[in-house]
Amino acid sequence: MLGLENITIPIILPLGVMLLQVLFLLAAIPIEALVLHKMLKFDKKTSTFYAISINLISSSIGWILFFSVEPILPINLKAELISYIFFHNFKSQQTQALLILTAFIIFFLTFLMKFFLLRFSVISLKENLAEIYQQKFEKNRLKWERTSIYRLQNTNLVTSVLIANSLSYSAISLIILLSRK
Amino acid sequence: MQTLFKEIFVFFGFFLGIFEGVRKLLLPPKAYSWQTLIYLSVFSWVLSFLAVGYVKNLIAFSGWLFLIAGTAWYTTDDPLRVPGTFMPVGALITGFLVSVFAFGHPEDVITPRTIILWPTISAIITAIPEFIGGDDTTTTAKIPEPQVREKIIILVSSCILISCWIQFYFVMNNWLTQYPSLMIDNFQRSTFVVRVAEPETKTQAPEQNIPKNGVTILDAVQKKVEQELNKTSWSEVERWLLEATTEVKKIGNKVINQKLGEYEERKLWRVEPRIANIKSGYGYKLDLLSIWTGPSSHHQGYYLQKSCRVEPIAVSRRSSRVAVSESDPKNTVAEIECDRLSKFITDAPPPQQ
Repeated sequence: MLGLENITIPIILPLGVMLLQVLFLLAAIPIEALVLHKMLKFDKKTSTFYAISINLISSSIGWILFFSVEPILPINLKAELISYIFFHNFKSQQTQALLILTAFIIFFLTFLMKFFLLRFSVISLKENLAEIYQQKFEKNRLKWERTSIYRLQNTNLVTSVLIANSLSYSAISLIILLSRK
Repeated sequence: MQTLFKEIFVFFGFFLGIFEGVRKLLLPPKAYSWQTLIYLSVFSWVLSFLAVGYVKNLIAFSGWLFLIAGTAWYTTDDPLRVPGTFMPVGALITGFLVSVFAFGHPEDVITPRTIILWPTISAIITAIPEFIGGDDTTTTAKIPEPQVREKIIILVSSCILISCWIQFYFVMNNWLTQYPSLMIDNFQRSTFVVRVAEPETKTQAPEQNIPKNGVTILDAVQKKVEQELNKTSWSEVERWLLEATTEVKKIGNKVINQKLGEYEERKLWRVEPRIANIKSGYGYKLDLLSIWTGPSSHHQGYYLQKSCRVEPIAVSRRSSRVAVSESDPKNTVAEIECDRLSKFITDAPPPQQ
């Protein structure tokens, strides 16, 4: 009646996945917080919050992308994926090249996600969240000046997120390299 | 004697205390309290048994609402928090109920989705009171303070991450049901997963520990091949054996689609023959292989093998069996004899001739 027959005793648990992800987050968050603190002059607490939130949300979005891509993978790629997760090896040599390509795509996707999430987090902590939207359309006077400042801030934001992301990915790659059996 | 009375009094006092506690818990102090809602939910649950059709669903639906509201109320009365976070345990319970209510079915109440979305829903429930402002009489929507916003964002996003992990568990579980041949393998090398339950076959003899689907394929292929070759004339059989690779592949594909239709792993099995001469004129050795091309902890992969001997037998009009040399070749037919059990070999399949 409770439908528990669908949910049987677990045979395998993704404990390693969970622990590795926690480890990656623990490595990435301090690095990114430091970069944001040094380059964007946020105070320490705020930059830690930004780093935590952008990392948590971007990894969740990454998981959701994985879940939407996984069912439509062709059978040979799916076999390679299962092989890597369950047995830590690949069947064919071509997968290595594909893996590098995937890593590149993941890197740039996370970079983009982190950039937009950081902007979202900056907005989310503004004191007067409701007023911002109302004032948005009123101020036209110093528009040119404002946009140029905004653009400058934006480039600064892009570079710092890029540096933060690259540093945290280097740390993660190092961990992966060291954890190879 | 006095001490005995005292003991009895203490004893009674103890029970009285329990009774008082239970009474306090069960009896609503006033009509407007959480116990009322729980009783309403029990009441509607009982009523829903008596009703039929959509009325039953309606009553059950309102019962769920009462239960959720009641538990939410009770658990916000005195918040006991999950260690390390500001999420009350009550939100977990309420979240579970909401999740069951939203994603359960009448026949199976707890679905995977219920469990996957449980943490996320609980986090959202924890966050909701922060968005409600006002005093006792009026309620208004408000946007919480920046510090509270920080806490909410981190809580909700980490709960979403936990939901993703649970979803990943179900994805892997789905792999194991779709690719049951993975179960016989060992996951020792993996850094990502841990095997909790050992497969049942491990307790049996090691030669039992072979993928069932491979055995099913080979048995069916053997039966088909026997049907085609037995009692057919020897010259036809020799022609068949020349074309054996395509013939066996055809049979194999048919069998795999027939027997493994429900599994996705059917695309990862392949059937191939290997033929060797025993002695010229005296028959052939036909090996049927079902090769696993899917993931495996063995680097070379593995395959299952069943050996058959195909021999010419002479049929004369008088007796059924005569030695080959004595009869004329037009009367010889083939006889095929296969091993009863399939062999499990962890290596790359032998090269084709």
